[in-house]
Amino acid sequence: MGNQSNYLSISDILVTNEKVPCKFLHDLPKMGFLDPASTEDDLKTGTNVEIPLWLAESLYSRRPPLVSVDLPKIYKEAYREILNADACTVDLHKLGQHFYELGCYIAKHDIKGEVGNTLVNTFRQRFRMILSASASTDSISALQPLSDTERERTAGAASTEKALSTWLKRGDCPLSTANMVASHRKRKRAEMEML
Amino acid sequence: MFGEKVIELLKEAERNRDTIDQYNDEKVRQIIEEMHVLFKMNMADANATTENKSLWTTVQVRHSALERNKRCLLAYLYSRMNKIKTLRWEFGSVLPPDVRELLSDSEYEWFSKYSTNLASYMRSLGQDIGYSGIDLTENLRPPKSLYIEVLCLTDYGKLELEDGDVILLKKNSRHFLPTSECQTLIRQGILKQIM
Repeated sequence: MGNQSNYLSISDILVTNEKVPCKFLHDLPKMGFLDPASTEDDLKTGTNVEIPLWLAESLYSRRPPLVSVDLPKIYKEAYREILNADACTVDLHKLGQHFYELGCYIAKHDIKGEVGNTLVNTFRQRFRMILSASASTDSISALQPLSDTERERTAGAASTEKALSTWLKRGDCPLSTANMVASHRKRKRAEMEML
Repeated sequence: MFGEKVIELLKEAERNRDTIDQYNDEKVRQIIEEMHVLFKMNMADANATTENKSLWTTVQVRHSALERNKRCLLAYLYSRMNKIKTLRWEFGSVLPPDVRELLSDSEYEWFSKYSTNLASYMRSLGQDIGYSGIDLTENLRPPKSLYIEVLCLTDYGKLELEDGDVILLKKNSRHFLPTSECQTLIRQGILKQIM
């Protein structure tokens, strides 16, 4: 199941922990607890429940499949229209922290095959936002509507920019403390101050 | 719901990407416990499928959960292993006691073995051309001058230089030292270069 190269990736694990709406195609004895609305012991055929993507993918890949996977609401027609009209107005941090990654998993369950296009379109429109966020001084409000990976890209862009400017005035940069050593100290100091 | 504890564990690790946390012995034990319970329930139900065919779906759900827990635990250990590798390069072969206590016993054993392997590799470098090894953790940037001025940030104690002189590194004292002899201390955050 899944992509072998991602097996040990923590971010992929967090993406596959997102919930997706599913319809169960078989009876599941003793699995009633998967549906928070039911009080029965068994889960009946035809129940609609939101389950984590890892479980959905795994049950979908059985022969015969145990579930059919539906699109989470942000990938549905209504949201797709908003995203295609103006993706920059959408707060992806609130609506889909893992919008692109989850989208890649979910695209194969989209019968019309439009989710893929929406993902590309959304990124194309939001690219300017990411770029300006990386150059912005008021980073907190610029970062707010960005999804997790978009924030990572922003941080990446900012640190590349910084690396370039240090390189341009090369020779002037003093030797410095190693990364992990510095963060370990900082954290310890913060902990001490809390006491 | 199964597979939730292990996510808490990973989120913890993901929050502090730049530092290493205390090895969460208790939570790992709880997760392995959860896996034992799932496995036992599956054994019982798998044996019962001969009479009750509908149980096979339930067995599949639990099996997916087992695989998921295994994947997450491995990812947790793997991400820590990468951080421990960084510890060796940034703190050196002897860990400060407050860092040492963040590792579990097996992790510390791994650290020692990695450290020994790295040391014997570095000693073997350049032997064919008459050198007795190269310390790869030194000279990460090309040195700009033979001597640099440094400020001492902690009460470190005595330091014997290659020419036999012994100097006392006290907090807030300033020194003019050969670059080659103080760059490791700079990376460990004991000295700071003054420009």
